[in-house]
Amino acid sequence: MLDTTYNVETPEGIDLRARAAGPVPRILAFAVDVFYRTLILAGLGIGLAFAKTAGMGIWLICSFLLEWFYPVFFEVLRGGQTPGKKAFGLMVVNDNLTPISWGASIVRNLLRFADFLPFAYATGVIAMTLGRNFQRLGDLAAGTLVVYRDTDKVPMALPDTTPLPPPRNFKQQDQLALISLLERHDDLSEARQQELANLLEPITAKRGRAALEYLRAVGSWLLGGRG
Amino acid sequence: MQVKHLAVRARLRSPWESIDLGIALARKYWLPMFLVWLIPAALLLGPLAWFFPGHPGWSLFAVWWLKPVFDRLPLFMISRTLFGTPVSALAALKAFFRQNRTDWLAWITIRRLSPTRAFDMPVTVLEQSKGGARAARIGVLHRKHSGAATWLTLTGIHLETFFLIAAFILIYLFIPEQVTANIEWTPLVRGETLALEWVSNVLCLLIMAAVAPFYIVSGFCLYIGRRIELEGWDIEIQFRDLVERHQRAQQSRKPTANGASPLATVLLLCALACASLTPTPQAWAETLESPQQAQQHIDKILAAEDFHRIEEESGWRLKDFDSEQGKIPEWLIKLFEWLFEWLSENADEADDSSGINWGALLAKPIELLLWIGVITGLIYLGWRHHEAILNSVRWQPNAKTKAAEAPETLFGLDVRQSSLPSDVCAEVLRLWRAGDQRAGLGLLYRATLSHLIEDFQFYFGDHLTESECAQLVSQRQRTPEGLQRPVSAPMSQFVQQLTMNWQQLAYAHRPPADTQVGDLCQQWQEVFANDR
Repeated sequence: MLDTTYNVETPEGIDLRARAAGPVPRILAFAVDVFYRTLILAGLGIGLAFAKTAGMGIWLICSFLLEWFYPVFFEVLRGGQTPGKKAFGLMVVNDNLTPISWGASIVRNLLRFADFLPFAYATGVIAMTLGRNFQRLGDLAAGTLVVYRDTDKVPMALPDTTPLPPPRNFKQQDQLALISLLERHDDLSEARQQELANLLEPITAKRGRAALEYLRAVGSWLLGGRG
Repeated sequence: MQVKHLAVRARLRSPWESIDLGIALARKYWLPMFLVWLIPAALLLGPLAWFFPGHPGWSLFAVWWLKPVFDRLPLFMISRTLFGTPVSALAALKAFFRQNRTDWLAWITIRRLSPTRAFDMPVTVLEQSKGGARAARIGVLHRKHSGAATWLTLTGIHLETFFLIAAFILIYLFIPEQVTANIEWTPLVRGETLALEWVSNVLCLLIMAAVAPFYIVSGFCLYIGRRIELEGWDIEIQFRDLVERHQRAQQSRKPTANGASPLATVLLLCALACASLTPTPQAWAETLESPQQAQQHIDKILAAEDFHRIEEESGWRLKDFDSEQGKIPEWLIKLFEWLFEWLSENADEADDSSGINWGALLAKPIELLLWIGVITGLIYLGWRHHEAILNSVRWQPNAKTKAAEAPETLFGLDVRQSSLPSDVCAEVLRLWRAGDQRAGLGLLYRATLSHLIEDFQFYFGDHLTESECAQLVSQRQRTPEGLQRPVSAPMSQFVQQLTMNWQQLAYAHRPPADTQVGDLCQQWQEVFANDR
């Protein structure tokens, strides 16, 4: 089964799962960062125009620092998110999914130079596209990874049901599917929901509206509701 | 189209994740899609180059404009692959005109510049819908994913351009400097060199063909992601799987109930009889007559609160750190306070003489710090190498490292020679005949280990297993080392055999035959004869 998830097992036997972010959102996030940087530099340039040669020197130093340390600063001190990455819900982590460290961040950003060659990050884009976890060369060298940040689930309105205990032999995946059916009661059409509920007829021995009601009742039990 | 044959994991994805999945999918099946895109496009560009050699720009523009025509074949291929019925590149090429029948005019005129081209294309190619039906469908699909589809197209355009420039720069980087110095740039920049224009066209065509599969498949995955969301494919697949498992379980339950072999039944009865003879605590509260009743009882218990207790733990807790760590030690604070006082005194002095002499003011503490550094370094070096220094100072060289102490117990067996009886073999055979097989063979094994350790200076660490000890013995037999007492072949063989027998008895409860124990005793006497 093809998927873009990235799995790590901790020594305690806990499976951590992250969703690796591919080239398109990363390129766009980078574009947003470039936009911000240009904005800052343009503002600085206008501000320093009055200081003549000294202003030019300060501007050049600032542009150097912005180019190389703007991402490092945000990645380490702002939870792995530069403003561009934040806009797209991305974050940089070490490849064991721990927060990124100074060393790794500096390495991955200095190696942007290698990814840039021969022009406009062509190497980086190709490496990202071909790599298993969408890592560019800098990521590979620093052992880092760009993943989607999990967003907090907002509480949603669920249809009114009296919770019923699930039948036996429901694995975790099945339970998740039932919960998903309940949670998506607004997004899926009523007919489609009944059609899905009918699939389970051999187990529930119900059809149509009754089957759907029953599955919803089981789903709300699984979500912690008790009649 | 069978949803259960889907080759990618069906789950709810954000639009960006769908695009990522498209990239991963395109990477996997890139070559055939690349060829299927490239061949028709090249077949168009070739004749154009032949008939209008003077218009390279317009020729490329024609190919570029007809992109929707070429996009359909890779889309057709990947859709078939995704649902488990892959088509070969050749078969796809044969279907070129059939795939282009639906709405071909609209796609190369009004819809050519649509920013959501890759996302909308599957509606035409796979669903074959036109007109009002298509508009309604697109409306539903676009409600959430159109933004990402637009950005995908924009990214694709930019990538193609950047890749073309990058390709030129790469080529330029490989031209020797003597040659580049003589290039006349003006005609090149003005576009007056036809040959170069055509080379550029070919490069551009290759890049378009290389990027196209990623763009098309990403758009297709956006479409699939939206349909998974709209139609609950993930739920459908899971439900089908559940029903299938349920039916399999029911089928397998039937034959075992009827066809249990009589032998197994007898055995089971015997086991039950034995079990009932031994007094066991009453594990069940009430007796249930029929399987149906038992089933109901099980269901009732399973549905009860005990099996559905959910405990939720959330929030972060701080570990119990050593509170000493991380605190700034008192003496450091004192030192700094003293330093600042001292500094301010010096500053006053400086004020008295001639303004603030910052250089001198800073130099003092830096000098102090450097001295502290040097002294700390020396102390550290002394401490780090204190053993070596002490050794070199001492008159007589230190005795070599302590000989590894012989262990007193191994595998829970006492291996000191003093703990052995005077006539090991007689004792072993006596125990064996008395029926205490473990004690008997254990004594023999213990005696062997103890002789190996004390007479042959074997070092068996705590970490070794029995077979690793035996390996050490055979290793020394094969490659004897200078100082240690060599091991003869029969002894090594005996140790292997004994170890194997002991392991069989100790762990598998499989005692060796009586004669073999006798043999082992005899061998033991032969092997260790000259030690006693």
